[in-house]
Amino acid sequence: MISVNNLEKKIGSVKAMNNLSFTAQNGKITGLLGPNGAGKTTCLRTVFGLLKADSGNAEIDGIDVAKDPMAAKQKLGLFPDPCGLYERLTPREYIQFYAELSGMETEAAKAATQDVLSKLKMDDIADRRCQGFSQGQHMKTALAQAIVHKPTNIILDEPTRGLDVMSTRILRELLLMLKEQGHCVLFSSHVMQEVAALCDHVVVMAKGQVVAEGSPAELCERTGKESLEEAFIELIGSDEGIAA
Amino acid sequence: MMNLLSVLFKKEVLDASRDKRSVMAGLYYAIGTPILMCLLFSVMLKQFASPEDLKITIKNAEQAPNLVQYLESKEIVHSTGEDVKEIVLEISDQYAEKMYEGRPATVTVIADKSNDKLRKSITRLELALGRYNAEVASLRLLARGVDPTLMRAVDVQVHDQATPDSKGGMFLGIATLSIVLTLFYAAMNLAIDTSAGERERNSIALLLSHPISTLQIVLAKSGAIATFSMLGLALILVVSKFAYGMVPWEQLGFSVNLSIEFMLFCFVIGLPIALMSASLQVFVSFMAKSFKEAQTYVTMVLFVPMALSMVTTYDIATDVVQWLPIAAQQYAMIEFIKGNDIPVAQLALSTLITLALFGVFSYLSSRMLKSEKVVFGL
Repeated sequence: MISVNNLEKKIGSVKAMNNLSFTAQNGKITGLLGPNGAGKTTCLRTVFGLLKADSGNAEIDGIDVAKDPMAAKQKLGLFPDPCGLYERLTPREYIQFYAELSGMETEAAKAATQDVLSKLKMDDIADRRCQGFSQGQHMKTALAQAIVHKPTNIILDEPTRGLDVMSTRILRELLLMLKEQGHCVLFSSHVMQEVAALCDHVVVMAKGQVVAEGSPAELCERTGKESLEEAFIELIGSDEGIAA
Repeated sequence: MMNLLSVLFKKEVLDASRDKRSVMAGLYYAIGTPILMCLLFSVMLKQFASPEDLKITIKNAEQAPNLVQYLESKEIVHSTGEDVKEIVLEISDQYAEKMYEGRPATVTVIADKSNDKLRKSITRLELALGRYNAEVASLRLLARGVDPTLMRAVDVQVHDQATPDSKGGMFLGIATLSIVLTLFYAAMNLAIDTSAGERERNSIALLLSHPISTLQIVLAKSGAIATFSMLGLALILVVSKFAYGMVPWEQLGFSVNLSIEFMLFCFVIGLPIALMSASLQVFVSFMAKSFKEAQTYVTMVLFVPMALSMVTTYDIATDVVQWLPIAAQQYAMIEFIKGNDIPVAQLALSTLITLALFGVFSYLSSRMLKSEKVVFGL
């Protein structure tokens, strides 16, 4: 479970997070939806401890990230944006490296790596160096790294960028599977279809604040609109920064 | 803690070893420098040395057959060939006449004394002329029934304490300079790639989001770089041993011989320097946002160890400098080759300072990685 409580942060003169609070439950996929510059990435970076909030806190399974970052990070899988790979390593080496960093023993990490490589259908590129990977191969490698150690909580920042239809489907199935297994999945996106199709719970963000929360159906109902996209525009009050 | 550190270290070494261009740059330095030095030394020695047969131009030789014969016995001969040195010995027209009368007969040495290449040959000629002068004068005194030793009021005796090995001071300085600097240049590109490069490629954020401390990351990186520096050191020592073995040192009566003991000694005192050098380069590179920027900073910062090493090489070290890191270690290396006592106090203190600097730089880097400004360039 990930909970964000009254986060505030100023970056330069911009208030990136303004009294931001929401909760992502276990066994559910929570989508953080917002236009560009809404503060999604800032919020996620604060949750995984890379940014320090001016006030408020973020908790992972009840552990305050700012107070005990090591313990909190152990319960976390991460897919950041941007996510640079080590181009001279192969996906197998890369994924196993992160599995071991997350605390797995070498043998267990090796097995888990093979497992996730098969699950993501990456066997053909598993032993090729990451240099020159297509966007999709790049994203898959980064994604595999996030889930290899089977963390309770998984945070994904814009996970569908650059994925083709096949990979998007794989990602979707994967997220649903993680949900089935009881993981807490939190991802940010500005792609409506993705959010509508996957999320149990949507947090709509604009200008560093939560504008509305609820299931996609609830949001449509509340605004009296047919689609999530219409509802979203109604909620944030403009059509600025939306990618279809 | 140790386990994570070794996971990080292994990844850094694997990643770095596949960076062929950076590894090659380090190898080129380690292999190329001693070979270059070896060629340079050979050329310098040839220029400094006076040849076996010193060929000069002697004018008016017929005036002084005895002198010419004497010079020939000292292997200084008149010649017109290609390899004649630009030294002219001009015997005056009245030489034979003055000699006969027992009055000073003039000989003129015409040469450019500012020409380093001729200095040794000129000295040799002057020395030979002086000896001839003394010999003839002694004979004249004997002929007049005077003991020639009267002319020697003071008997100057010089005991040259220089051992053959200690004479090569400057050469030793340059040789050790190239060895010490390997620890800074062999892994420079790797150091920049693993820090500034990691920032540039946006891979640092993910690494920092894992349950490891920034100090562990910095130590693993420094450790991996130091490993490559030490490889460079081992390589340059081996190459130096063979390369310097081929320089014709005999001409100057000394030799630069790198013994196995010396190589081991370098390895031991080099390790703290390698660690310090790695942590310094990582620290400086993390300040830069891109590879290029880091290259500029690191190159500028490396002037400091270079200056310290230069000061030792040209033996202009003041008493204070001899206690400083790098200078002291290099000084100890020179003394080791010369076979003198190693300045233990200086070496111990400078090694401690070196290790302390390693600690300070590592700590500063780990602090920097906690800064949002550095990680995201905010």
